[in-house]
Amino acid sequence: MNGTLATYFRELRAYFFSPLAYIVLFFFLVASGFIFVYIVSQLNDPRVAGGGPPLGYFFQATWLILLLLGPLLTMRLVSEELRSGSIEVLMTAPVTEGQVIAGKFLAALTFYAFLWLPTVAYGLMISAYEKVDWGPVAAGYLGVMLIGSLFLSIGIFASAMTRSQLLAAMTTGALLFVLFLIGIFEGLVNNDVAKKAFNYVGLFNHIEELSNGIVDTRRLVFYLSGTLFFLFLASRALEDKKWR
Amino acid sequence: MIEAQNLSRRYGDFTAVDGISFSVREGEILGMLGPNGAGKTTTIRMITGFLPPTSGRVTVDGKDLFESPRAARRQVGYLPENVALYGEMRVSEYLAYRARLEGLSRAEARQAIPVALERCLLTGVRDQVIGTLSKGYRQRVGLATAILHNPRVLVLDEPTVGLDPRQIISIRELIRELGRQHTLLLSTHILPEVDLLCDRVVIIDGGRIIAEGTPQSLRESWTGNPSIRVVLKEAPADAGEALGRIPGIVGVAPLEEGAWRLECERGADNPVDPREEVFRAAVANGWTLLELARERGATLEDIFVRLTTHDAAAAETAPQAAGTPLPDEPEVVS
Repeated sequence: MNGTLATYFRELRAYFFSPLAYIVLFFFLVASGFIFVYIVSQLNDPRVAGGGPPLGYFFQATWLILLLLGPLLTMRLVSEELRSGSIEVLMTAPVTEGQVIAGKFLAALTFYAFLWLPTVAYGLMISAYEKVDWGPVAAGYLGVMLIGSLFLSIGIFASAMTRSQLLAAMTTGALLFVLFLIGIFEGLVNNDVAKKAFNYVGLFNHIEELSNGIVDTRRLVFYLSGTLFFLFLASRALEDKKWR
Repeated sequence: MIEAQNLSRRYGDFTAVDGISFSVREGEILGMLGPNGAGKTTTIRMITGFLPPTSGRVTVDGKDLFESPRAARRQVGYLPENVALYGEMRVSEYLAYRARLEGLSRAEARQAIPVALERCLLTGVRDQVIGTLSKGYRQRVGLATAILHNPRVLVLDEPTVGLDPRQIISIRELIRELGRQHTLLLSTHILPEVDLLCDRVVIIDGGRIIAEGTPQSLRESWTGNPSIRVVLKEAPADAGEALGRIPGIVGVAPLEEGAWRLECERGADNPVDPREEVFRAAVANGWTLLELARERGATLEDIFVRLTTHDAAAAETAPQAAGTPLPDEPEVVS
């Protein structure tokens, strides 16, 4: 517990002291702001058919930015300790690998939540002009937090594998991209079982469901178990560094 | 306090440490000496629990490092060879973080941090960002974190490497000071450091312990016959031969122009002192005696070089390779 808390607060601090975090924050705000404006203008355009809750579309489009920014958030977490050698005093303290990884993950998740915090303003803006159903919006936030946990845990795993931040970011990017592609495969197969399987891991469907207010426990299980799985791998990767 | 039994560590086919056993007794300062690549750091990493040994076991204060790692690690303060700190933190913040990591309560940390700052002479830079500190200060921050949780054992891996002479002196003073309150294991390849600081020494080479004892006992066991250095002014060519005939002298080695090293017979109890005889011989032969001095026996450096040199070529480079900033003049004791 001490190990997790100590690591958590130290990593959270490190985020707010690192220029990279602000660059990520900046790009996220610009991109999400652009997406929001685009969605609203399309929905207001009488020539464009259809309609729907603007925030629903917003979640469905904005999470894609994470494919690019996610790796940047996690690449430093373990790699930097391995590179500088600070891992040595960290792991000779009375803490376990699992505690350290958990602390780092929670710090990353907190910063990630901080990224999304300003987007609450978009909901408030919409609510000034029309009635907003907050249920689906909350479910949408739940969805991006779930996807974020999975992405960050994959990033931490990749970071624990190498002392190079660049390599960690690239590995994470590749893994996230594969995950993203799997969702697309659903439309490419005819086999029913395969369709179901792809649907189960298809991030697109999940975020669509959640942003429409459908909270399916299968999704919760999928993301939470996936996150735990990669965090477990990360702590094993860190432990494995000792044995070689 | 520390018991290492038959520690071995292999990296693939390479054996870095090969069956090392030693113990560090409560309250003593044990020096671990060895050339670069001898296996010192690997051994130390196994003792601090960073590396698991391929075979063998370590106990600290009776607690096995792998059966009860947390209890054992709590007793150890560790300063690694490369002190890596988080550059964006202030010194006091870093110590607060370390205190939490070590499991100190808030109240304990509030007490321990100023004490550690004080003992490592860091009070003046407590609010400075670590990234802006000089290497000597960082080393002291590393030491402060090692003593923060008041461990019974301190393990310091080459604590003075890369420091300037003044910093070295201040770190050594600090180590000696810490040695009064903690059991200390100190690794180094700097020989005077061992002489200055350590109660006992183990010399490691090629992953094995090749000698062990107090600096004094090591020196005694390796000292050859006592010798005398003689310098004559305008010495005749046969002076060396004449010196060899003096009773009590068993060997003559010419040094530079006009200088010789005379090896003396060693008596059973009292070493023969032939200096008087040498003086008389000089008077009898009409030599002008410029210098007549007893040379000190083998230094730790001699022993170290002799023990860790594997061939003639290495003998030439060994002292430099070992990075020993020793004066090359033998010390003269009259």
